Amino acid sequence: MGLDFVGRGVGETDGNIITTSIEKVVNWGRKNSLWPMPFGTACCAIEMMATLASKYDLSRFGSEAIRFSPRQSDLLIVSGRISIKMMPVLKRIYDQMPDPKWVISMGACASCGGVFDTYTLIQGVDQFIPVDVYIPGCPPRPEDLIDAVMQVQQKITSGASPKGVEAVV
Amino acid sequence: MNEEKEVEEQSKPLVLEKLEEHHADALLAQDEMRGTAVVVVRKEQAYTVLEYLKTDAELAYTFLVDVTAVDNSQMESELMQFDYARFMVVYQLYSYQGQCRLRVKVPVHESDLSIPSVTALWKGANWLEREAYDMFGINFEGHPDLRRILMPDDFEGHPLRKDYPLRGRGERERFNFDKQNV
Repeated sequence: MGLDFVGRGVGETDGNIITTSIEKVVNWGRKNSLWPMPFGTACCAIEMMATLASKYDLSRFGSEAIRFSPRQSDLLIVSGRISIKMMPVLKRIYDQMPDPKWVISMGACASCGGVFDTYTLIQGVDQFIPVDVYIPGCPPRPEDLIDAVMQVQQKITSGASPKGVEAVV
Repeated sequence: MNEEKEVEEQSKPLVLEKLEEHHADALLAQDEMRGTAVVVVRKEQAYTVLEYLKTDAELAYTFLVDVTAVDNSQMESELMQFDYARFMVVYQLYSYQGQCRLRVKVPVHESDLSIPSVTALWKGANWLEREAYDMFGINFEGHPDLRRILMPDDFEGHPLRKDYPLRGRGERERFNFDKQNV
């Protein structure tokens, strides 16, 4: 089951009882059922779709349940350019997601504005919402997105709080 | 100079001939670029000329491809040519009947940015004129709904003008999230 953190009982129980902490079990559950909220605004979203499709198959990581409702999601994937007109929408979606929530900033545009150093483009969404994992690339390959999801999983396993949350219960 | 003359003599587009015949006083200049006729028209007569181009049975420019504008403020050669009019409103037309294109340009001075809307002639002009208004501040008179179309409603300025800084005036960092209509 992958419960590598579980300690075994010794002595009389003879290995039939496993002990752990509620925190570890909860984190194990969270880690393997990340529900992404896709916020695709540009070509990065195409790569995100490829990641979700059969060849790269993000469901191997328990993240195939794409929710277009932010209230059912705990992983926001910002993939694409965010303009000053779109930023309030993104912020509102982020605010609607229940805690704990993680954010992946996918690609150069979401992370720093990319080549679009113009009046209308937000130069990095991390100015307005907390970002946990950045993916470089223009656009990043599906492997990069998978790697980012795995990094989020590692963060959850380690018990670290998401960037935007004080502490996870 | 000679080359230009030759081209003109070879085959003058029908539209230029007809405009010279019917609206000679409205024409400021005419040209041909890569097979497309280009005419520069006085603002006062712009609507009349465009209406003529659309409704004339022989020309029938029924398709308005694009309406946009050009800020010539840093283009001395263009400015000199048309009485230092800062903006040039550009209409791209296509005639299915004649299978030919036409570019109509109208000089607009900064002191009077109004120009008649052509939404009554081509319904498709609605959003195109809104874009030109948003980006350049051209005021299309008679437009049914002249609001910004690309920039946020509370945006100030017209970003495709040459004096608008490329990286903006700080609007992308100073950000107002208290918007009603998100």
